[in-house]
Amino acid sequence: MPYLWLKAVHVAAVLLFIGGLFAQTFALAAAEATAPLARWDRLATVPAMLLVWVTGATIAVEAGWFASPWLWAKLAFVLALTGLHGIQSGKLRRLRRAGGEPSAATPALRVAAFIATAVASIAVLVVAKPF
Amino acid sequence: MPQQPPSAVAEDLAQIRRLRLASFVEATTLLVLVFVAVPLKHLFDYPLAVRLMGPVHGAAFIAYGWCLITTVSGGGWSRGEIARLGFAAFLPFGGFLNAGLLRRKRAALAEARA
Repeated sequence: MPYLWLKAVHVAAVLLFIGGLFAQTFALAAAEATAPLARWDRLATVPAMLLVWVTGATIAVEAGWFASPWLWAKLAFVLALTGLHGIQSGKLRRLRRAGGEPSAATPALRVAAFIATAVASIAVLVVAKPF
Repeated sequence: MPQQPPSAVAEDLAQIRRLRLASFVEATTLLVLVFVAVPLKHLFDYPLAVRLMGPVHGAAFIAYGWCLITTVSGGGWSRGEIARLGFAAFLPFGGFLNAGLLRRKRAALAEARA
């Protein structure tokens, strides 16, 4: 397997593994309350997301990659993941309210599969730059 | 409206405050881009302002979009209100027009807490 493709798969696997570990930790805590998750979201996840956007845009501008189709495909995935974070933050806030119930059952497995696919696609697109 | 714990209402109030700030920044950067940077580029052949303000407004637009999604996903917003807040991001001065709606929402929440 060519080096670039191997590296892309590796980075995608690391991201998924770490994400899975975080999800496990918070799922255990959330059985009692979602407060620790809200705090982690505010202190770590949101700053990390802002950092992703700022550093990513800076790298793309400096390298002149905005003319490359792979970057726009990657941006679509990043935009979708950012939107998903917003939706889930709102749903969690609603859950913390007394008497508040989620508007519909969350299709957790489908959402997780989407996150996995998006993260893996992003890693492949940004590392291998296939088109 | 069911009784909510003070911390949950405070969280909702803080989220609306963040949306107001994001709306103000988005509207301001759009105005600077459209009414200052673009004329500077086309009338005075000075493209640097657009090169600077373009990415700044882009970042503000994305931040507003994310803030809007986060706020309305918490529930308690009608489709009309969501559409209005969404369209405002595309119109000059639109973000400033959100101020009244967001103030009313904050007042209603604060009243529910009292």
